[in-house]
Amino acid sequence: MKAAVERFLRERGLGGDGAPAMIAGGASFAYVFGAVLMFLLVVEAVSGAALAAFYSPSSTDAWGSVAYLQDQARLGWMLRGVHYHGASAIVIVCGLHLVQTALYGAYKKPRELVWWLGILLMVLMLAWAVTGYVLRWDQAGFWANKVEVGIAAASPVIGEAIKKLALGGNDYGNLTLTRFYALHVLILPAVIGAVVVLHVKLARKLGPTPLGDRAQVMQPRWPDQTLRNVIAIAMVFAILLAYVVSMHGADLAAPADPSAAYDARPLWYFRWLFELRELAGSAEKLVAMATPAVVGGALVALPLLDRGPSRDPRRRKLFLGGLAGLLAMIGGLTVASLVADAGNDELAKRDAKAEQRAQLARKLARENGVPVTGAGDVYTTAPMAIARGLFATRCKGCHDAGSKDRKGPVIAPGHGNRAWLTAFIKNPSGDEFWGRTKLAKAETAMKPVEGLSAADLEAVVELTYAETGATDVVAAKRDKGAAVFDSMCGDCHARDEGQPGAAGPGLAGVGSRAYYLSFIGNPKSAFHMGHDKSQMPRFDKELTLVERDALAEYLVWLRTASAADLAKLDPL
Amino acid sequence: MADEDRRKFLKVATCAIGGGVGLVVAAPVLTLLADPAGKITVTTPSAPLDLGPAEQFRAGAEPRKVDIIAPIVKDAWMASRNVVLGAAWVRRTAPDKIVALSAICPHLGCAVGWDAGAGNFLCPCHDSRFSAEGAKLTGPSERGMDELPLQVVEGRLQLTWVRFKPGQTNREQA
Repeated sequence: MKAAVERFLRERGLGGDGAPAMIAGGASFAYVFGAVLMFLLVVEAVSGAALAAFYSPSSTDAWGSVAYLQDQARLGWMLRGVHYHGASAIVIVCGLHLVQTALYGAYKKPRELVWWLGILLMVLMLAWAVTGYVLRWDQAGFWANKVEVGIAAASPVIGEAIKKLALGGNDYGNLTLTRFYALHVLILPAVIGAVVVLHVKLARKLGPTPLGDRAQVMQPRWPDQTLRNVIAIAMVFAILLAYVVSMHGADLAAPADPSAAYDARPLWYFRWLFELRELAGSAEKLVAMATPAVVGGALVALPLLDRGPSRDPRRRKLFLGGLAGLLAMIGGLTVASLVADAGNDELAKRDAKAEQRAQLARKLARENGVPVTGAGDVYTTAPMAIARGLFATRCKGCHDAGSKDRKGPVIAPGHGNRAWLTAFIKNPSGDEFWGRTKLAKAETAMKPVEGLSAADLEAVVELTYAETGATDVVAAKRDKGAAVFDSMCGDCHARDEGQPGAAGPGLAGVGSRAYYLSFIGNPKSAFHMGHDKSQMPRFDKELTLVERDALAEYLVWLRTASAADLAKLDPL
Repeated sequence: MADEDRRKFLKVATCAIGGGVGLVVAAPVLTLLADPAGKITVTTPSAPLDLGPAEQFRAGAEPRKVDIIAPIVKDAWMASRNVVLGAAWVRRTAPDKIVALSAICPHLGCAVGWDAGAGNFLCPCHDSRFSAEGAKLTGPSERGMDELPLQVVEGRLQLTWVRFKPGQTNREQA
């Protein structure tokens, strides 16, 4: 049966890959790296296909779709991690593969082409990683890409053209993502696939280069070498998976924001170039471009320089020493860069802040979804985000209890509730009320209301409180308050809609959203502080209606909020 | 012969390890790809949607196409406001009765239009015709047009948006 199937396939051109069935010198763990790389490439392809089923390459959606993968799709985080850290594994195993090949002298005639194709593959792998890192469209990927494209753009003559082609135009945008996406999932895989086929085909045809006197031993590839390959593959994958689980996938920074400063760092395998660039000072761009060319050139030149017939490492000390020096330099620079960052407390603080922002963005995306306007606007989905942002920039200086040069009444949780109204009526020129304003010192300033019975005070507070539109008003008290108001307050204030008082602000709707909207728009209007010269500027020209209304809504919310409620809101 | 046995064991071991690794790679990939199957990835509003004052629909008038707009739709990672979900043909059939018919053809889901000349509904895809009341007249559709739940609250029409499975005689919610 088995023989029949094999014959059927063989007669139709299938079965057997054309590689020699026997390995000269015997199977060895030294030869597993190619197979491990092949396996990792398949893992990248399979995980990448799964990720592509969720990813959206557009500047408004990219981050949102990646956040969805990371935080909402089942095992999305794991596939992201396998894909991202799998690329790191490829870089490491590529390095080991290169060292093994060099140590065994496998770049020598007639295997120069295999070596050169391998160098080409390494370069393509790094390009593959660069095109993938930007796709997440978060701060990390966005800024790393900006630096990389910036270096390429500094190339003489063709720099500007490279930049325009890479970005798909004059600036970062939708075409940047569609371009890098096409490169990452279609063009580079096709090119890399073709080069891999050629590389593997040639390597298998020419066979391995055993060291010493083992050349006479012959062992079958299957299963002797295959078993060693799968053992290595299983080990590498186990390590990769363990790392992915420990890291909970791959990190995801806050959505890309061209206006926010960010400590851009390249992927770890470009760290040595990053460090070298730092060291190079004013020649940084030249160094960043020339060094990879020099390193690549040295590797390409190796088979041309080391032309002696011997593959014995002891007789090739010069070349192996040179290679070791190169790798030591790359390793040393990588470590130096990582150590420098680890010892930078300021950087650690900025990174912690950036991470906090990333976590907030991801939480909001999970709970509220990303707005159509783009992932950068995800912060506006936080409760009262617009108002709180405006308050922090436009109102806090004069109205926050903690502000050193506060000029107006304190605005804090509980502002405008019964307790606040009671305290205000008792002492309107108290420090937390009008105390710090100029009008507190004016003769026309409101005097503390004295001589009211506790019940009458409660009643007039209830009446004023009712103007806010609150739903928990005690009607009997409020009605009683109307009479108290007429005798005690009516000389200066009015309660009729749109009516200013005879000597003070109108109080119709005081503390309601509409009232705050009108007050913020123009506090100096006749209805509000027209009688006194309010120091508060009018905001109807500076802020839009939507912004002023958002602030008004926030002030209304503050009335029933506690300090704990305020602290519970997402940071901005 | 001992060498043969050893090789046989090595082959089994290779296949076992290789197969195991393959499974561990495939399992999370398939899990992720199957993830949307068990989820509501695009939300539809469960609360009734406001179609405006009921009095705008007069007795004797032709059916009017009304866009069904959801105030908020969550579509995977994105939240959108004022999303058009579809349309309904709304008509006052009696002084105290207003009927809304889903504009989704019960045959294969095309958008049904009003043929003013013939005074009935026509689906442009496969020429299914429905009476002004939505009953099936001619064409391939298995059933008449789907009526949507309507109620009048304080003079305003409130419609509940429901999708039905196309291509079957009985009316089943999708």
